[in-house]
Amino acid sequence: MPDSHEPIIRFDHASFGFPGVTALKDISLSIHAGEFIGVIGPNGSGKTTLCRAVLGLMAPVEGHLHIFDCACEELRCHHRAMIGYLPQKGVVDRNFPVTVLETVMMGRYGALGLFKRPGRKDREIAMEALAHVAMDGHKDTALGHLSGGQQQRVFIARALAQQPRVLLLDEPTTGLDITTQHNVLELIQHLHEELQLTVLLITHDINMIRSRVDRLVLLKTRLFAAGSPAEVLKPDILSQVYGKDLVITENDLVIVEDYHHHH
Amino acid sequence: MLELFTYDFMQRSLFAAAMVGGLCSIIGVFVVLRGLSFVGAGTSHAAFAGVALGYLMGWPPLLLAILFGLATVWITGWVEEKGRMKLDVSIGILYTTTMALAILFIGLMKTYNAEVYGYLFGSVLSVTNEELRIVGGLSILVLGLLLTFSKELYFIAFDQEMAEASGIPARHIFFLLLTLVALTVVVSLKTVGAILVFAMILIPASTAYQLTHSLKTLTLYSAIIGVVTAVGGVLISAAWDVPSGPAIVLLATALFFCSVLLSPKGMRRPSPAHSH
Repeated sequence: MPDSHEPIIRFDHASFGFPGVTALKDISLSIHAGEFIGVIGPNGSGKTTLCRAVLGLMAPVEGHLHIFDCACEELRCHHRAMIGYLPQKGVVDRNFPVTVLETVMMGRYGALGLFKRPGRKDREIAMEALAHVAMDGHKDTALGHLSGGQQQRVFIARALAQQPRVLLLDEPTTGLDITTQHNVLELIQHLHEELQLTVLLITHDINMIRSRVDRLVLLKTRLFAAGSPAEVLKPDILSQVYGKDLVITENDLVIVEDYHHHH
Repeated sequence: MLELFTYDFMQRSLFAAAMVGGLCSIIGVFVVLRGLSFVGAGTSHAAFAGVALGYLMGWPPLLLAILFGLATVWITGWVEEKGRMKLDVSIGILYTTTMALAILFIGLMKTYNAEVYGYLFGSVLSVTNEELRIVGGLSILVLGLLLTFSKELYFIAFDQEMAEASGIPARHIFFLLLTLVALTVVVSLKTVGAILVFAMILIPASTAYQLTHSLKTLTLYSAIIGVVTAVGGVLISAAWDVPSGPAIVLLATALFFCSVLLSPKGMRRPSPAHSH
């Protein structure tokens, strides 16, 4: 639950894109410390753009984006280190010759700054992060030898090693089997509660996160809806974004209606 | 065989080979992991065009080699960053353009110049004291910068966007890496030559890649393999009177195939060339 009324990320009529292409238009959204927010929307709705903006990799072409009270285009390296990021699976080369501990230690590099070598304290922080995701027994294992779910845990540990205030996760459950998906989400919720982390979780899987998040943000180039899952997951709102075929079942599952089944 | 070591020229060339072997193989780790192998090839041909222009105009060849090399890597990096075209396409264009320039410059020379060809094929046995000093100075500079920024370089090799997102000045580090690749190529031109320097960057790191899963061990193995093959190649070259550049590269290649056969990684992993 939000433990502060001070927003740590604030979009103010912000638009993002490239010349001729608008990826996100007129977004106004405040994210408070300690919130667990799910970001949903169809393919190409601007979820990844939102992610890049929060990481300070993209400045708004119109409007403003403030992160930790700092205009996004002036975001310094040490600000960036306060956002722990889990990229989409597949973006990272998982056969890279690197051990689990070496991977997690990379999370310390940005926070350390240039010219400083990681020391014993950084190692301790990395080991602690590995313990949080229950991977401390694998510190010398090659990253490529782990299963998909274990690798995801290691990457979460790397984000934690930054000692971040915000955890930004881009589709963390894609490509994992259903039990592992559940376990990864359990872990994220656990970290949110135990470490008081603000979590921004980008996902396609509405049903798996609806019971875990404080707020849902529904994107389709512009901010379509933001609020509690009950406020956002309404048939009239969803059908405008995803098309008419989307229905909500009696037990609150969002599914695609199968026409052939009815006819 | 032992009396070889008493000659001044032999000591100079062994020293030069060890330095170049070590330097190429360490920077090779980052080149292989970041998927910049082809950039090494392009840069060496660009640097050779600089050497040819230097001899044609009577300007210092190594200085022009540095300028041509840096221009090539910076244009390549800029094109990749802008996302205008794929890296292999832009480097392919620059590679062939600079090679055409080199051939043009050589053609414009009125007389045959053996020294120019020395830079193309390498002639470590004829390294002079002055060249050794230049190679030594540049090697210390490049190794110093590699060591200073090693943690950032590893991170951008792993995932540049991730590195930038977590607070590493990734773009600057990427251009630093490209610059160091260009300098390394120039340092190595005289020893192994423009055609084979690429192999010295690529092969030791790829050999080490077969043998370990750890970044630190990979760098250490690569450096050892680089120094051993460079020194071994020079000794083979002196003992059997064969050209030094090919001797070094073929020795490195033989080691590479041994490492593939003995690799604990087996066939499960893709080769580093495909890892990006």
